[in-house]
Amino acid sequence: MASQELPGRDSSAVAPRAEAGGRERERIDHDASLGSFARRRHRKLAVAALTTVAIALLPLVIHDVYLQNIIVLTLMYAALSQSWNILGGYCGQISLGHAIYFGIGAYVSTLLFVHAGLTPWLGMLIGGVFAALVALALGYPFFRLRGHYFTIATIVVAETGLLLMLNWDFAGGAQGIQIPYGPDSWAHLQFARDKLPYVYFALGFALLTWLVTFLIEDSRWGYWWRAVKDNAEAAESLGVVVFRSKMAAAALSAFFTAIGGSFYAAFVSYIDPDSVMGFQLSLLIALPAVLGGIGTLWGPALGALVLIPLTELTRSYFGGSGNGLDLIIYGVLIMVIALARPEGLTSLFGRTRKARATPQARANPEARANP
Amino acid sequence: MNRREIILGGASTAAVLGTTGLHAQQPAEVLIGAVYQMSGASAQVGVDAQHAFDTALDVINNVHDLDLPLAKTAGLPGLGGAKVRVIVADHQGDPQKGRAEAERLITREKVAALIGSYQSAVAVTISQTAERYQVPFISADNSSPSLHRQGLKFYFRAGAHDEMFSKAMFDFFDALRQKGHKIETLALFHEDTIFGTDSANAQQKLAEERGYKIVTNIKYRANSPSLTAEVQQLKSADADVLMPSSYTTDGILLVKTMGELGYRPKAMVAQDAGFSEKALYDAVGDKIEGVISRASFSLDLAAKRPSVGKINELFKARSGKDLNDLTSREFMGLLILADGIDRAKSTDGEKIREALAATDIPGERTIMPWKRVKFGPDGQNLDADPVLLQWVGGKFVTIFPQSAAIAEAKWPMNT
Repeated sequence: MASQELPGRDSSAVAPRAEAGGRERERIDHDASLGSFARRRHRKLAVAALTTVAIALLPLVIHDVYLQNIIVLTLMYAALSQSWNILGGYCGQISLGHAIYFGIGAYVSTLLFVHAGLTPWLGMLIGGVFAALVALALGYPFFRLRGHYFTIATIVVAETGLLLMLNWDFAGGAQGIQIPYGPDSWAHLQFARDKLPYVYFALGFALLTWLVTFLIEDSRWGYWWRAVKDNAEAAESLGVVVFRSKMAAAALSAFFTAIGGSFYAAFVSYIDPDSVMGFQLSLLIALPAVLGGIGTLWGPALGALVLIPLTELTRSYFGGSGNGLDLIIYGVLIMVIALARPEGLTSLFGRTRKARATPQARANPEARANP
Repeated sequence: MNRREIILGGASTAAVLGTTGLHAQQPAEVLIGAVYQMSGASAQVGVDAQHAFDTALDVINNVHDLDLPLAKTAGLPGLGGAKVRVIVADHQGDPQKGRAEAERLITREKVAALIGSYQSAVAVTISQTAERYQVPFISADNSSPSLHRQGLKFYFRAGAHDEMFSKAMFDFFDALRQKGHKIETLALFHEDTIFGTDSANAQQKLAEERGYKIVTNIKYRANSPSLTAEVQQLKSADADVLMPSSYTTDGILLVKTMGELGYRPKAMVAQDAGFSEKALYDAVGDKIEGVISRASFSLDLAAKRPSVGKINELFKARSGKDLNDLTSREFMGLLILADGIDRAKSTDGEKIREALAATDIPGERTIMPWKRVKFGPDGQNLDADPVLLQWVGGKFVTIFPQSAAIAEAKWPMNT
């Protein structure tokens, strides 16, 4: 905007000097905007650090395991939705089949733990890599599909995975797999009553996915993905390798979703195909990002912060009646949010910041004109 | 033992001392948590369960002239007449939510014991949570055999599991053989999800053990639009007994296709599910006069156990329907649990567990066809006999075992 005003002001001055001055000023503006960009990034980091510390201190105040359980689930869904957001939000490839990656993570780490005694820490990495490979194998044919067709393909593949697991006896079939009941152990990620370790693991997981998204935002891949999302043809004409961009986003997204699956298995210590690969789960992974603000850094976390406590509390305190009151409250609230904030909950903060920034923005041209 | 456990142990000891020491007057109310699906596809099961529990609470908390545990007294005499109250929680058919709700009921609502949960997958996580908090869990209506094989100390199931159901069928065949009926060959016909596959596997194993020949074993998709090819195979095999493990719509399709292809099986012994559904008999009941199905409960038991009829009236007044396989077990489950708490004279988990482990209720003091209620070390009641019912003249009649039967089986159903 500032550069558009420049020619008008410069026309009164001597041409060569003005040109040089204009360039200089342009550079300064560029530096200034870079600076403010860097400041914004720093502020985001600071907010994330503060939030993390605040959540880490939360269990000191909240001793109740039921509430701690809600904290774990909220963080887990924030992280899962953040992972989904990489492919669905930044790259614009809406997947409603992420349950398959979640399921792969859950099954790989659990099978390795139950049959080979491998610690879930390693198991979740193996599961993550495996899920990323599956995402690449699926992406190869599917990323030739566009829009709704891609979404439908992801649903179909996840359902196929579900049927496969239901009929695979080695993996427990429809009965599922139980993680044997043992003593508390960090190595096995098993804690009988204690929820604190799970709170901290989920917090670390959520922070990790946030950081990855944060780094992506300002990386070449991040810009490529957003370009692909906005207009794949235009991006391609500018030299963005569209197909490979999508593949990379899918692999990264699948990797972290699978880590979430492994964590879920350790947390609940029982998995069965319906609970770790069902279509419902694919929706639950996407929903926080959609509600919070699709393709935004804070959207998934905000969405999860609203959704998960809401489902848990309404179910616990209204669900026992059997009249569906909890689901009615849940549905109405989602509709209200969707109607009031169609761009997601993050727009709440965006507007206030813009409102705060407006007087500054008005003051700025003067400040620039004066020296 | 690490520091946390010591603190936990200390806290729970303090809690126990607190309850027994300070409130030696006994609690005025004993809370029991019921975890069921109250929303979604199987919500009706949860709503019915609530009626069953309300009926059981009526029997426990008020005076009734019935030969059932705790019926003749008001409240729990062992706890100074304390009343029992049930808190229902919704698990939505999700094992994770079942776990969270069980945890909430134990830690926040301070329930003395848990009861649940219809879906076997959810029972897995509830039973594990109960074990972790040392609170007894009564598995009222779950039938998966894997549940009592988890090696849990706080798990109890008074009803039969799936393998016992299949065993009852073969006991029935053996009894018929002894009477001189010819039963050599069996045809298995089962749908392809967990229910049908498990059922067929158990039947196959039992057939081998007891010397029956399986001439054909057909697996089909439950939502298949046509069963013509499958029924053709059944017809040409023409086994002595056709054993379907089917849900409702596929069961109806099976019977209709049999009619179209002119296949009249010599006998049909079905694994519950579709063949205990009213909808199936409304649609094709006239075509399968004499079909036999296994069940956990039968209303005509009232002829032998008079409390069945009276409890059914109490239940019907609340729910508008008769007791069935599930609600009868839910009712009885809560009664058995309350009886355990009464004998424990305490709401402490370990004491209730001990009392439950020592349970010995004769079958006559239940509304079930069971011989008695006595739990094995794995928490399974081995005397929970299922019954076989025969569809005769538009209603079900109990024909097996002898102790519960009110009529002779009509065998074979078609000659």
